[in-house]
Amino acid sequence: MSSVAEARAPRADWLRVLDLLSMPALAMVLAFVGGALIIWITSGSLITVGEAYGGMINGAFFKTRGFSETLVATTPYIFLGLALALGFKAGLFNIGVEGQFFVGAIGAAWVGSAFSGLPAIIHLPLALGAGALGGALWAMIPGYLKAKTGAHEVINTIMMNYIAFRLTEFVVSGPLRDAHSSAVQTPRVAPNAELWSLYAIPERLGDPLNALGVALVCAFLGWTFATWQTARPSAARRFASASQRRLATLGVGAVVGIVTFLVLPPLTRAWWLLNDQYDRLHIGIFLALVTAVAVWRLLWKTTLGFEMRMVGANPDAAKYAGINSTRNIVVTMALSGALAGVAGTIEVLGVSICRCLPLFFSSGYGFDSIAIALLAQNHPFGIVLGSFVFGAMRNGADLMELNSGVSKYVISLIQGLVLLFVAAPAMVRWLLRLRARAGEEQATITRGWGG
Amino acid sequence: MANSMIRKSAPNQVGFSAKARQWVTAVFVVVGLVAAFLIFNAVIGGKCDSHCVIGMLNQTLRYAAPVALAAFCGIMCERAAVVNIGIEGMMLMGAMVAYAANLFSFVAMKSAGLDPATAGEVSRVLALVAAIAASGLLALLHAFVSIRFRADQIISGTVINILAIGITGYFYRQFLSQDIPAGPGTFPPFDIPLLAQIPVIGAIFFSGQKPIVYLMLILTVAIHFVLFYTPWGLRTRAVGENPRAADTLGIDVYRVRYINVFVGGLIAGLGGAWFTLEAVDVFNPLMTNGLGFIGLAAMIFGSWAPIGAWVGALIFGLGSTVTTTISIFRPDIPSQLPQMLPYILTMIVLAGFVGRAVPPAADGQPYEKQ
Repeated sequence: MSSVAEARAPRADWLRVLDLLSMPALAMVLAFVGGALIIWITSGSLITVGEAYGGMINGAFFKTRGFSETLVATTPYIFLGLALALGFKAGLFNIGVEGQFFVGAIGAAWVGSAFSGLPAIIHLPLALGAGALGGALWAMIPGYLKAKTGAHEVINTIMMNYIAFRLTEFVVSGPLRDAHSSAVQTPRVAPNAELWSLYAIPERLGDPLNALGVALVCAFLGWTFATWQTARPSAARRFASASQRRLATLGVGAVVGIVTFLVLPPLTRAWWLLNDQYDRLHIGIFLALVTAVAVWRLLWKTTLGFEMRMVGANPDAAKYAGINSTRNIVVTMALSGALAGVAGTIEVLGVSICRCLPLFFSSGYGFDSIAIALLAQNHPFGIVLGSFVFGAMRNGADLMELNSGVSKYVISLIQGLVLLFVAAPAMVRWLLRLRARAGEEQATITRGWGG
Repeated sequence: MANSMIRKSAPNQVGFSAKARQWVTAVFVVVGLVAAFLIFNAVIGGKCDSHCVIGMLNQTLRYAAPVALAAFCGIMCERAAVVNIGIEGMMLMGAMVAYAANLFSFVAMKSAGLDPATAGEVSRVLALVAAIAASGLLALLHAFVSIRFRADQIISGTVINILAIGITGYFYRQFLSQDIPAGPGTFPPFDIPLLAQIPVIGAIFFSGQKPIVYLMLILTVAIHFVLFYTPWGLRTRAVGENPRAADTLGIDVYRVRYINVFVGGLIAGLGGAWFTLEAVDVFNPLMTNGLGFIGLAAMIFGSWAPIGAWVGALIFGLGSTVTTTISIFRPDIPSQLPQMLPYILTMIVLAGFVGRAVPPAADGQPYEKQ
């Protein structure tokens, strides 16, 4: 440990980003080396290692629809990674994202199939909202128990996972079962509740109501972006008053909306990149990216986010500062659960072939997303990056198994190793004989059973 | 520790003395149990007579075994201040290794010309040892990461869980899911001579159980004795409460922690072996079903003491027994609903007791020598 006086001069921004990325990158590399060792030992030949990793890369990026399938797998990872990061930031380990994912999927399958004839501009947000609400309610129960009785969220969210699995089985084979289908599954959601595949966007935008919906979303994004940019001191000085500034930002939003409404439909009809109708990539990926920015803004630019981070960093200080920790825990868990619920919603509305919730629907996303959140050190933009890497691994796994005969479970093994090295940076340094930089010691992420 | 307990209970002491409150709680528990039994019997149509009750209690003990063993693993680790949420993974590992070792050693011995009955007995014992060893190795990894590298213990436990899912899944898919020869099967149940003759108690505790259940009963007493009546137990508890003071007195904190986590891992391996050497003769990658975490809840319920944790495990075992009994007598009730019962029960128990349970003071904190 060197003292503060010895600390180096502030480094350039890009160097700091490199510093931040170096440890996760080392962890990834070491994990892949570990995976290679395991494949080598169990298969007895080095060629198999090459075949396996070659197959993985080929399947993840180069195969037909490989890259878009990687993005399809990335989408839920982003939501679940964000869900975990939000919890970690507030000192909560929401290990129950898998259960919230399932309950979100139930909500989406129910609302998605309960109505017919609603326009997409209402039905799609409604289904997404139902999924988010399902996940939020499911996560609030352990949150409330934690706040009121001190029951640790790790055990309770896991119990809620198992309850959610049974609940899903019950709902799919009982109350929500599709009477017309021989397979045990919920009815297909209405076409207007589906998440549009990117291929279908020109067709979808042909409906003026849909174009209006997209325009409204873009207007909102434009307004948010303008508000954010004009809030910087240098920009804010150019406006005479707050009301003038508000007017300007609203203007930007309106212009963006109108331009989108008028230009986007003809433009996409005239020229569209995707002409493969079996491509499954859907607009959920945009939703995920926007959500990542929103979570980043929530955590670092709002009072609620500040309070959450404060409770996470030092609960005693937060209590002393008058932050209501009960409310904070419940709200954090609800938000985290809502994100996980949306991930489940996306599985039903955009990914599943039957556009429904089938029996024995299993994701296995939950544990992976813990690794993603920690790999990204709980930063939303890092989560987008990490989700892409994990999505690629997941998607490449099938071709890897086909090419080399190495079971795709080796992916979970590698992901476990990633988590191991991320959890103990000291171990990486020990393995590679590196020295620690000043102040690099990692802060505690979770706390024990007390309080 | 004593101080904080007094502070915690002080505001509640309006109206009742501590003793009276204990009695009231006990009466509530008994009334609750009787009411629950009456409701249960009404649900299954009044089919449960005294014979059925004894049968159910016998089964309760059987289902309680893996949970109790998981809880004992947690107690060994946490009394030395290492939180272990990787028990689930350790048990999964134990279950897989037990299954594989049982199968392969049996096949090898049979092809070497041993008669199947002897080969079966030998391979089951070998499998038990292998499961315990594998789980112990995983525990050593947890100890290494959380003691030597001072990683966050809850994250380290999660690492163990994910690694165990990866390793067992990988080996299962690679070696255990294709044409599998018939294995020697599970341990046969047996009665303990003499003790099985005791009325009621003998029928519940000492007859028709398999060896891991009996081992669990022995371990309950043994761990209680070790923790509270031996120098090692004293050292363990000192390290868990105040490692700095223990270090000053010359106790090697790291060594105590390593050994306790390792022993905890061995116990978890025994719990894992229960799944494939006592419950069923197959392995599947999801078979531990959260029982490791329920064991942690039982540990908290029992205030980090083996006998209390054993009682907690029995509550869970009773929940599972009721679940299976309902699904036998009332096949018209969707099976998923009673299946939720043990998990809901665990949450209720945890919410009801954790406020009063005080973990070892240094629980979850890495220790750094000065």
